[in-house]
Amino acid sequence: MKRVLVACGNGIATSTVVATKIREKCEENGVAVTVNQCKLLEVESKADDYDLLVTTGKFTGGTVTIPVITAISLLTGIGEDATLEQIVEELKK
Amino acid sequence: MQIFYSIFNVILDAGATVMLPIIITIVGLVFGVRLGKAFRSGLMLGIGFAGINLVINMMKSSIGPAAQAMVENFGIHLDILDVGWGSIAAVTWASPIIALLIFAILATNIIMLVLKITDTLDVDIWNYHHMAIVGILVYYVTKNVFLGVSASVVMAVISFKLSDWTAPLVEDFFGIPGVSLPTMSALSSVIIAAPLNWVLDRIPGVDKLDFSVKDAKKYLGIFGEPMMLGLIFGCVIGALARYSVSEILTLGVNMAAVMVLIPKMTSLFMEGLMPISDAAKKFCQEKFKGRNLLIGLDAAIVVGNPDVITTSLIVIPLTILMAAILPGNRVLPFADLAVVTFRVALPVAMTKGNLFKNIIIGLFCTAAILLAGTVTSPILTALATEVGLDLGSNMITSFAGPSLTVSYLIYTAFTGNLFISIPVMVLVIGAIWFMMARKGRRSMAEA
Repeated sequence: MKRVLVACGNGIATSTVVATKIREKCEENGVAVTVNQCKLLEVESKADDYDLLVTTGKFTGGTVTIPVITAISLLTGIGEDATLEQIVEELKK
Repeated sequence: MQIFYSIFNVILDAGATVMLPIIITIVGLVFGVRLGKAFRSGLMLGIGFAGINLVINMMKSSIGPAAQAMVENFGIHLDILDVGWGSIAAVTWASPIIALLIFAILATNIIMLVLKITDTLDVDIWNYHHMAIVGILVYYVTKNVFLGVSASVVMAVISFKLSDWTAPLVEDFFGIPGVSLPTMSALSSVIIAAPLNWVLDRIPGVDKLDFSVKDAKKYLGIFGEPMMLGLIFGCVIGALARYSVSEILTLGVNMAAVMVLIPKMTSLFMEGLMPISDAAKKFCQEKFKGRNLLIGLDAAIVVGNPDVITTSLIVIPLTILMAAILPGNRVLPFADLAVVTFRVALPVAMTKGNLFKNIIIGLFCTAAILLAGTVTSPILTALATEVGLDLGSNMITSFAGPSLTVSYLIYTAFTGNLFISIPVMVLVIGAIWFMMARKGRRSMAEA
């Protein structure tokens, strides 16, 4: 079971959209995941427990040791599929 | 006819948890969402409302008496509870005229796009609540649906124009092109920040007064973690209430719980609205295919910027201190301290990250929010009670809704002496629009 942390400004709005899309995509591809959401401000204290960090905006506020994918495309709809593929690839590793 | 009337009455009597699923199902069907999916969306929103009610109940029964005791012990007169923007959004979505307002706001966006007077395509239906709450309050005060809808339309026009004008900041400072942020919780600060930044730049010496705070996160990071903030906050209020140690600790843990639980409940709203937002997005993107549009997104995408975070971590504790000494303020800032990042994001981009100016502007913005929150609290509390939040004798507010500077001004314009306030409002908006349009042309000519 892979663990994904989705972070956005308030841990509610955009991260819910992104988390839902990741869950659906992983289910289609048979990747078992748990997806949790948080605020960007909390990322550093939480990231260690996860395999992948997905952020909905540019995350430049700190350092984490796990892979980070920026998923603004899941909000605009432009380049959405490519980003979802990238996330699934990362989780299959 | 009689039967319809009785059915309608039964639903109205049942309150928001029953109204919400029905209204949202209808909104979903209009956008072409399948019945089953639309109903699930609606039910999810009803569940979210029930959840928020539970948490607010817990909050008022624990911090309400403590805040009262604090007033009696020390004369710190902060008795209006900040229940967070999510709670106010829940009240907004539970209002009987919300469906009408959603379509009015969407129609405003489409008409402005067709007329080419905005480039922002805003189908982030969730954030319509910032525009809708003003209309709902106006309707609640005046009992006039036309005025209510007009107020929300004016909010929409302002949101889209401010988004257009701030899009270059989003691209240049935050590095996200093709996007604008029609989220009033972030935009509202601009009308304070723009003139204040202009003034600060003209005070000799201020431009050289920039400093950076190293390790702001190391020492102040705790203010960025809602659960720690809640715990400390609860314990301090408990101490000021002269509670016993065990009571202080209980209050601390309860407040930490509120801080963590309110967003969880709010995310149920977001989840429920997603299918409807998606349907609206598909519809609009097909309509305006081929045009170079700014896609309107939640301001959440820019608040991860390190300058924004540093500014917030400093502004948050200062706002708490300011609340105690600001003349006229009765708001006890709490739940929305977690989203101060949104209030300072655009000012930070305007000053290009000058920390000194950011803190000054940030404090002016939060001060304006506290004062507008104090003034609008009675009417907001009455509205929240009517849609079914159980508040007891507590007064509530948040850092969103009518506390936002722009929203407060529009609310005031629509509930004042209309013959004076409406022309003034139109004149001010027109003048700013004209000025910005000229400025836009000039900078294009320079380029």
